[in-house]
Amino acid sequence: MPRSENDIAIVGFAQSPMLRRSENTEAEMMLPTVQGAIKMAGLEKEDIGFTVSGSCDYLSGRGFSFVANVDAYGAWPPINESHVEMDGAWAMYEAFIHLLLGHIDTALAAGVGKTSNSDPTTLYTIEMDPYYLTPLGADPWSLAALQYRALLDSGKATERDVAEVVARNLANAKGNINAQVSGDVSVDEILAQPYVRNPLRKADLPPVTDGCAAVVLARGKKAYDLCERPVWITGFDHRVEPHLPTLRSDLTVSESTRLAAEGAGAGNGPIDLAEIYAPFSFQELILRESLGLSDDTVVNASGGAQGANPVMVTGLLRVIAAAQAIMDGRANRALAHATSGPCLQQNLVCILEGDE
Amino acid sequence: MTDTSYDMEPFHLQFPFTRSLGSTMSTFFSALAEGQIIGVRIGDRVVAPPMEYDPETGADAGSEWVKVGPKGTVGTWTWVPEPTRLHPVQEPFAFAFITLDGADTPILHAVKASEDQLAAGLRVEAQFKTGDDVNGRIDDIVFVPASDPSPSEGAGEAYTAPAEPEVQMMDAFCDLVYVDNFAPATREWAAALMQGRLFGRRCPKCDRMIIGANPMCSVDGIFLGDGAVVELEGTGVVSNFTVITPTPYPGQKETEPFVRCSIMIDGADAVIGQQEIVGVPASEVRVGMRVAIEWAPEGERNVDDLGNGNHGATAGAVRGWRPTGEPDEPAENYVERMM
Repeated sequence: MPRSENDIAIVGFAQSPMLRRSENTEAEMMLPTVQGAIKMAGLEKEDIGFTVSGSCDYLSGRGFSFVANVDAYGAWPPINESHVEMDGAWAMYEAFIHLLLGHIDTALAAGVGKTSNSDPTTLYTIEMDPYYLTPLGADPWSLAALQYRALLDSGKATERDVAEVVARNLANAKGNINAQVSGDVSVDEILAQPYVRNPLRKADLPPVTDGCAAVVLARGKKAYDLCERPVWITGFDHRVEPHLPTLRSDLTVSESTRLAAEGAGAGNGPIDLAEIYAPFSFQELILRESLGLSDDTVVNASGGAQGANPVMVTGLLRVIAAAQAIMDGRANRALAHATSGPCLQQNLVCILEGDE
Repeated sequence: MTDTSYDMEPFHLQFPFTRSLGSTMSTFFSALAEGQIIGVRIGDRVVAPPMEYDPETGADAGSEWVKVGPKGTVGTWTWVPEPTRLHPVQEPFAFAFITLDGADTPILHAVKASEDQLAAGLRVEAQFKTGDDVNGRIDDIVFVPASDPSPSEGAGEAYTAPAEPEVQMMDAFCDLVYVDNFAPATREWAAALMQGRLFGRRCPKCDRMIIGANPMCSVDGIFLGDGAVVELEGTGVVSNFTVITPTPYPGQKETEPFVRCSIMIDGADAVIGQQEIVGVPASEVRVGMRVAIEWAPEGERNVDDLGNGNHGATAGAVRGWRPTGEPDEPAENYVERMM
C-alpha cells in the first residue's frame, strides 16, 4: 500500500541491558538508550520534534525522577517534551498522535523503570482502590491468582497449559540477547513448584528488572529518508476497564483488549507475529483469545515479559521486538500489545507493517 | 551487574492519609460499623460494595441502598500461605470473590478457612468486628465458612440510611520501603568529599565544567568519562541565595532564619546548591560574595545524606562556605543564572 504524509513509522530504537539490579539511576540508564535510538535513526538530538517518556517515580522512590530524566535528552536549547505515568508504549501513543497533527516529522518515545528499589507486592497494593482493596492488602500476586483460578474454573485452560506457556517463553528468551531470564525448564519442573498464591507459582511471576527502551518515529517521506525499511504503524488503540476487578463480568476474557484490537484493525489481515505483554504467564492465554490470534501467529518469540519485565518499559519492548522482526524481514505484519493495572485492566494494541 | 554492595540504607516513604469518604462510602462504612452490609441498586442490578457511579455508563449511581449478605457464595479464590503486614489476617488465609446474597457483583475479601475447604460455590458469612475494634473500614469484616448455608435473612430488602452517616473519614497509613543504591558517579563524588576534594568534569563538546555526582553533560546528552575529570579549588562565588524562616516539621533542626546558597565554584559552569554560609549572619549574604569551602575535620566528615544526582550536594563533609573578604564579583554576572 503506498504511504502518505499521514503515515507514521518506527525508524529507530534501542534498549538498555535488562538487569535484576542496575547500579545506574533512571537518567543514567536512559542517556545511552535514548541517544542510541536517535543514532540508529541517523538523527541528532536537535532533529527530534517531540520527546515523551513513561515512568513512575514510585518505582525508584525518588521524587521528580521523571524531571531529572530530562538530562538524558540533552534538553538544551529547550525541547518540546512530555511525560506519562504509564508504560512507554503509551508514551509512544502520545508521540504518534503528536505526529498525526502534522507540524513535526520526528518524535522520540521512551520508557524507563528502576523497579528493583521497591517491593512490588507493597507498591502495587497501595495503587489499588484505597477504600475497598488497599486496606485488605490486595496484592498483585493475589489479584493475578484470582484471575488464574477463574481461568481454570472456566475450563479454558489447565495448569499444564500455563506451565507450557512459561517453558516456551523461557526457551524463546534464550534467543533474545536482551533477555534477563531464559533457559530450558520442563513443564513437570514448573508444576512441581509450590504455589505462592494457589494456583500461581513462582515460575508464573515476571522477573524484577531494571531497564529502559526508546523508539524514534518519523512521518511520511521522512521515514524513507531515515530508514531502508520503516516499520509503519497502521493501527493503534488502547482501552480501559473499571478499576475494581470485581466489576468485570468475566475475568477470563479481556474486553478492553478485544476492543483495542478491533480499534487498531488487527483483524484486517493475517498477523505473522505477536508480542504480548502478559505480566503473569497465564494472562498470555487470555490475551491470545481476546486478540483473536490464529494458531499461525508466532507469539512472543522474544520470550515476552517472562524474559524481562522492567515495569513502565515492558510494553514498549514488545513494540521494539515486533518492529525488529519486521526490519529483519521475519514478519511483514505484526501486533504489539501492552497492559497496565490489575488483572489486565488497561490494554493497548499496535499494528506494525513493513512495505511488501 | 548484580552488585548490591553499594545499597543505601532502607528509606521509608510514609503517607499518613486521612481520607474523606463522600456520601456513598460513608453510608456503606457507617452501615458496616453497625453490622449491616449494603449495596446500591443501579438499573436492574445490585452493586455491592456500592459505587458512586454506574461502572458501565459513569452516571451517578444514586442512593437506592439494598441490604446484602451477611452470607454469600465464593466465586474465584486464592490462598495466601504467608501473609504480609498489609494483609488483614496474620495466618494463612484465602482471598475470594464473594457474591453476597442479594447482590449481583462480587466483593473481594479475606476468608478464614482451611485451604481444602475453598472452592467455587462455598457458602461463607461475614464476621463483624465489635466495640473498639471497629475502624469504619473494609477490614471491619472478615469471612468464614457459613455454619448454615441457607439464604441470608433480609438480603435484598431496602436499607434506609441515616441522614448523617456516622463514619465520614478513614485513616490509611501508607508505608513504602525503598532500597536504592549509590550510582557509580555518586560513589566517586562521595569518596572525593571524604578526602576533602572537589572535582568537575569538562564536556568535550560544549566545554562546560559540570560538577558533583553527575556523570553526564545534560546540555549535550553525553557521558563524561574519567578523562574529563578536573580537580577544583574550594573557592567560588555566591550566585544566588534564599533566607528560610523555619517552620516546625518532623526532622527540622533549625529554629532561626538561615541561609541556603548556590555557589559557582571557580572554574565550573554549574552551581552547587543548598550550601550553608558560615561566619556571617544571613542578613549579610549577597550575590557576588566570594567564599571558600570549610571542610568538616577529617574524622567528622560523613556522606550519610548524599543521594544520587546531586541530592545532598556536599552532605556532611562540609561545614559551609566562609566569605574570604575579597571584593565581590559584579552581581549582574549572576542575576540571569538559573543553575
